[in-house]
Amino acid sequence: MFELIIFLVLMTLGYLVGQYAEKRHYKSIIERERKLKDLHTVASRFPPPGKRHEQCLVMGNTVISVDYFKRFIASLRNLFGGRITSYETLLDRARRESLLRMKEQAQEMGAEYVFNVKYETSSISKGQKNTIGSVEVLAYGTALMRPREEL
Amino acid sequence: MKFEYREIPEGINVTKVHPLRELAVLLGGAVLIIVAVVYVLGLSAGFLASYIPFEMELKLASSFPVEEESNGEIDAYLARVNSQVIEAMALPEGMDITLRYSSADTVNAFATLGGNVMVFRGLLEKLPNENALAMLLAHEIAHVKHRDPIVSVTRGMTISAVLSFVLGQSDLGVLGDTGLYTLLHFNRDMERAADHEALETVYKIYGHTQGADELFRVLQAYREELGKDDGFEFLQSHPLDWKRINAIDSYADDNHLKNEGEPIPIPQSFFNAMKATIQSSDKKGK
Repeated sequence: MFELIIFLVLMTLGYLVGQYAEKRHYKSIIERERKLKDLHTVASRFPPPGKRHEQCLVMGNTVISVDYFKRFIASLRNLFGGRITSYETLLDRARRESLLRMKEQAQEMGAEYVFNVKYETSSISKGQKNTIGSVEVLAYGTALMRPREEL
Repeated sequence: MKFEYREIPEGINVTKVHPLRELAVLLGGAVLIIVAVVYVLGLSAGFLASYIPFEMELKLASSFPVEEESNGEIDAYLARVNSQVIEAMALPEGMDITLRYSSADTVNAFATLGGNVMVFRGLLEKLPNENALAMLLAHEIAHVKHRDPIVSVTRGMTISAVLSFVLGQSDLGVLGDTGLYTLLHFNRDMERAADHEALETVYKIYGHTQGADELFRVLQAYREELGKDDGFEFLQSHPLDWKRINAIDSYADDNHLKNEGEPIPIPQSFFNAMKATIQSSDKKGK
């Protein structure tokens, strides 16, 4: 009985806090994406021809962990199979947040473009008995800045 | 080359299903499956366990040593009532009952593997008459006769093995409780069956069932005294006290068992002897 109460408290907390954080995070992501829209991020490896740019590696990094509610739904999914939608949303947030951080860094360096943008994901901690999962999402690219003599 | 910013359409990587809806569907499904699996496994394990020979159960039980208490007068009285009960119950050959008395003040009695029945002073002291004592012993011996201890052990082992295999060490451990609560359903059935058998035994011995339901009234009063409320039946290993009282009363009516008669008192010397065992066990404790 006691175990059940702890479970219910954790689930409610996980759900309420998780939902609140998610809503707030998406709001901030959309807002920042609009703000940084003039800094173009391009997947191509080849910089625009003709111009000579200074180059620098920029990256944005996010490490996320799941809340109790999402993890519980995911472990139920492990029984039945199917999309673990609770993780999908979380990873979507992590990817966009990483890209934003990378763009913020590039902007501070005065970049015009970021080329060769790539993502990398790695699981950095599985915790005891695989109970806590955290995932790192790294976005990186080559920031192209106008040569100093042109400025 | 010109680059242009296009806003990304929202909501493609975010599911439109509400998380609570997903939880309800998954959790509901999981609970239903666990209840069904535990029920089927419980039935089949119980069915198979009743074919385990009693001699094997005896061997299994002998590997758990029990502390023996020897109390002349108490044992003699209990043995006298016990032999009446055993005779009335017509136990199968080879099914020997070992009755043990404990001076602990636990208000309980139980039957376990190998025909071992344990009664505690705490409960014996509260019994109003010999008929209630016979009901108590008959109830516990009925468990042995129905092979309930070995069936429970087999069931419990099978189900906990399966549950821990499927749910493992994950967060789903909490779902294991669903399985255990389903298991209690079988327990309550055993209790009801033992109650009926015990009632018939009391009737066979005394020619009436007076005093039989007093055993449950004693237990009910004790639980009230502790301030424990009944709670939900599906969370408990025994049916609720008032339901048991009603059940045996209506069983007596349905089977035309005479329910009024003169109960036989428990001799005062028995109570005195039990009191003496408190003092001696206190001394031992010191």
